[in-house]
Amino acid sequence: MFIQTIITGLSIGSVYALMAVGYSLVFSVLNFSNFAHGAIITLGAYIAWALMVHYLQVPFFPALLLSMGGAGILAFLNERIAYSTLRRRRAPSLYLMISAMGVAISLQNLLYATIGAKLYALPPVFAMDVVHIGELTISKMDIFAFVFSALTIAVLHQILIRTKVGVAIRAAAHDMEMVSVLGVNLDVLVGVLFFIAGSLGGMAGVFMGVKYMVYPSMGWITNKAYIGAVIGGLGSLPGAIVGGLLLGLLEALVSVSSLGGTSLSTYRDVFSFGILVILLIFKPTGFFGRHVEDKL
Amino acid sequence: MAYLEAILINVAIYAIATLGLAIFTGYTGLFSLGHAAFMAVGAYTASILTYFYKVPFFAALSLGVILSVLVSFLIGYPTLRARLRSDYFAIATLGFGEAVKVILENFDLTQGARGLPGIPKFSTLGNTYLLLVLAIILCRNFLKTTYGRKIIAIGQDPVAAEMIGIPLLPNQLLSLGISAGLAGLAGGLLAHYTTFIQPSIFSMDLSSLVTAGVVCGGMGSLTGPVTAVALFVIIPELFRGFALWRLVFYGMLLVIIINWRPKGLFGYEELNRKNLPKLFSIAGITGGLSLFMPTYRWVIESRGYEMFALFVAGAVVGAVTVLFGLLGKGLSLALAPVAERYHSLRDRLSEKLASSFGDIGTAPSYPTIEGADSNGLKENEAIREPILEVRELRKNFGGVVAVDGLSFKLSEVELLGLIGPNGSGKTTVFNLISSVYPVDGGTILFRGTDITPWGPTEVVVAGIARTFQNIRLFSSMTVLENVQAALHREGTYSLVEGFLQWPKTVPQVERRLRDESRRLLSIVGLEREADRRASTLPYGLQRKLEIARALALRPKLLLLDEPAAGMNPREATELVELIKRIHRDERLSIILIEHHMDVVMSLCRRILVLNFGRLIASGTPEQIQKDPLVLQAYLGEKAYAVVR
Repeated sequence: MFIQTIITGLSIGSVYALMAVGYSLVFSVLNFSNFAHGAIITLGAYIAWALMVHYLQVPFFPALLLSMGGAGILAFLNERIAYSTLRRRRAPSLYLMISAMGVAISLQNLLYATIGAKLYALPPVFAMDVVHIGELTISKMDIFAFVFSALTIAVLHQILIRTKVGVAIRAAAHDMEMVSVLGVNLDVLVGVLFFIAGSLGGMAGVFMGVKYMVYPSMGWITNKAYIGAVIGGLGSLPGAIVGGLLLGLLEALVSVSSLGGTSLSTYRDVFSFGILVILLIFKPTGFFGRHVEDKL
Repeated sequence: MAYLEAILINVAIYAIATLGLAIFTGYTGLFSLGHAAFMAVGAYTASILTYFYKVPFFAALSLGVILSVLVSFLIGYPTLRARLRSDYFAIATLGFGEAVKVILENFDLTQGARGLPGIPKFSTLGNTYLLLVLAIILCRNFLKTTYGRKIIAIGQDPVAAEMIGIPLLPNQLLSLGISAGLAGLAGGLLAHYTTFIQPSIFSMDLSSLVTAGVVCGGMGSLTGPVTAVALFVIIPELFRGFALWRLVFYGMLLVIIINWRPKGLFGYEELNRKNLPKLFSIAGITGGLSLFMPTYRWVIESRGYEMFALFVAGAVVGAVTVLFGLLGKGLSLALAPVAERYHSLRDRLSEKLASSFGDIGTAPSYPTIEGADSNGLKENEAIREPILEVRELRKNFGGVVAVDGLSFKLSEVELLGLIGPNGSGKTTVFNLISSVYPVDGGTILFRGTDITPWGPTEVVVAGIARTFQNIRLFSSMTVLENVQAALHREGTYSLVEGFLQWPKTVPQVERRLRDESRRLLSIVGLEREADRRASTLPYGLQRKLEIARALALRPKLLLLDEPAAGMNPREATELVELIKRIHRDERLSIILIEHHMDVVMSLCRRILVLNFGRLIASGTPEQIQKDPLVLQAYLGEKAYAVVR
């Protein structure tokens, strides 16, 4: 039972990690929390739904890739429309955050206004298949989500350390101004950054859509991915992964435990936010985050 | 009529909630995504009291407000104390909002997700608007007090606020408390108008509406957000068919406003005669658009040409907009003489009111610099020990040793120069003395007391003031207000008196603070610029304003961090005169960091030279100029060898 819980936790945690990476990437360079990321993830899931169910019967893998591409482009447009002006004006991060919130509110309600509040299922790719190992029952989709998330993050890591763009992104995370002085086109760099973050988000959206359902407010779950990113330390890639997995595990454990006869599962979200507040109070930079100080 | 009343009451209720957030986000610069939760606390408390316990309406409302304030302290104390960055704080409030909802859903007294039906309908047009007007007056009064200025200063630049001795936590909590109290009041009124509440009403959407009101109405304004949220309530009513699109529209508006018009409707100003035309034009567009569909339908029915109908409807929208705009302009012009008369009347009235309480001429004595001077001189003779003593000071940043075992003494009324190549640790020394950074080793003694473990505000209160290398003014405040904000310790009336603008105390104290600020401005030669916005001052004058602001803290020791940076030779000469003058007149001890060697050499009798965080030389300007180590540090070893 305990191991079963751990496995559930790891599988949801890996999807959290995938989403948390998107938050962290953007934060590392632009130094603000992109609260519109949840809406992009949701739209990624809707693209998959449109491709696989609503309009066509595209098989899973092409649909996954197209959703990733679509979400990536949406994230890119999101930056161009809602952040680029503020970024060039060097507006305070509060402004970027408000803009991001505006995008999130708009997109989520656009879905309510057009497609509606109905829940849609994505076709069960592996969901029905389970693997039995001893007494454990593990759904293949969970295994797939875990492995695929891990692979994707590994690829991203390679991109960041081996490619020119990756080096530029890492350099920009240290000092954006210096990078632009060295002749890197910041617009392109930030565009690539958002495309990567968006496509990872799209992938996470599809996994979530398969595991649960597709609905306009599914972006709410991404708030917890954000918590994961903060726990690990915003702006750090390993931090996002560790934080996401850790939160998934803790949540799974809380869901199955009970206190004085009442199950704690209703309080799961409260618990996550509680962890966040406690962590922020004692270690505001998370596990891997760096401390940024103003120059006086 | 009932329909119109419903809209109007909703406007008042949301306006009260938005007013609260305007204080917290618009003025204090903190972002909350959980304000609906405070409304929920107020709504549930008041409803349970009136519904189950038959408590009178206003008593129940008040208890709701009090509980909201207490809950806000509960969430605010740990999070604000931890100094979360603004986005972390926002997500913490989001979590708090969610937590409150979950608790309400699982709590017996609140009847869970089913909600509370049958709450008595006590909110009326009369009492909601009475409370709205009262709330606006109280907020406005508050902002005009020394307490309000502290909060505004924190919103503009928390670091600079701390460096003028304003502690962040109590003031941010005060702002949060006011804000949550108003949200709780709005919640209570809402519950007693709709007569039915359930947890899902107090969702993110409600928080977003209030936030959108503040951002679109304008940061640093009260009437702006109130106007904006009124429009947000009215506009969807005009387009009933588009109810679902309402939030799409709010979201887009947030993006548009923050990107292209960050000032919002009336950013950093209030509704006044001059922006009446703007308000009327907006009302005109709103009204005009609401006539679009009826006109269109009417023309289709009577004539039947679609294009023609579109044209007519469009023309009606345009005509109404222009008409309203003109009306606003006319009204604004017509009100000009009235406004003038009102202002002079108000001034005379307040003068009369103040003088009717008598003691206007005999302002209570406060520590003037002159007073402190004579004391200082006596102390100087009595106490032989230096005003500041630094022993073995040490600071590392990661592997870099920024300050490496620095020791020096500063005597009373000395003007000490601190020079050194870039990155030699000069500003870090200031940051350690003023407690911006904790020290890694060593002690700092100020007038014989060990101040090493003290926080930044305590250091300021003890008598150490500073200016910044990168100017840090409260940029949206006027020049005068910048200095007034620094005089916060001399605003000797209570918060309650401030809220009421108590005529017996507040106007006098405020006048004294204004006069004193003017005097300080005249010392640095800025009295003519008093009413300008600080950010519009030229660079050199901004540096002088920083000095005036530092003087307002009644310091014994002044730390000047590159006051002449970016000044031309003429301005630098003026600055030298200014520093000489304040040093002489106020008998201050001063440490001066400066790269302009002429400035340092002409001001300081003794100079310390730092390199790589170590003291490499100290002495008179002549000694320093000949010191081989100093020359090496500045020129490099090879160049020094050539010169020699």
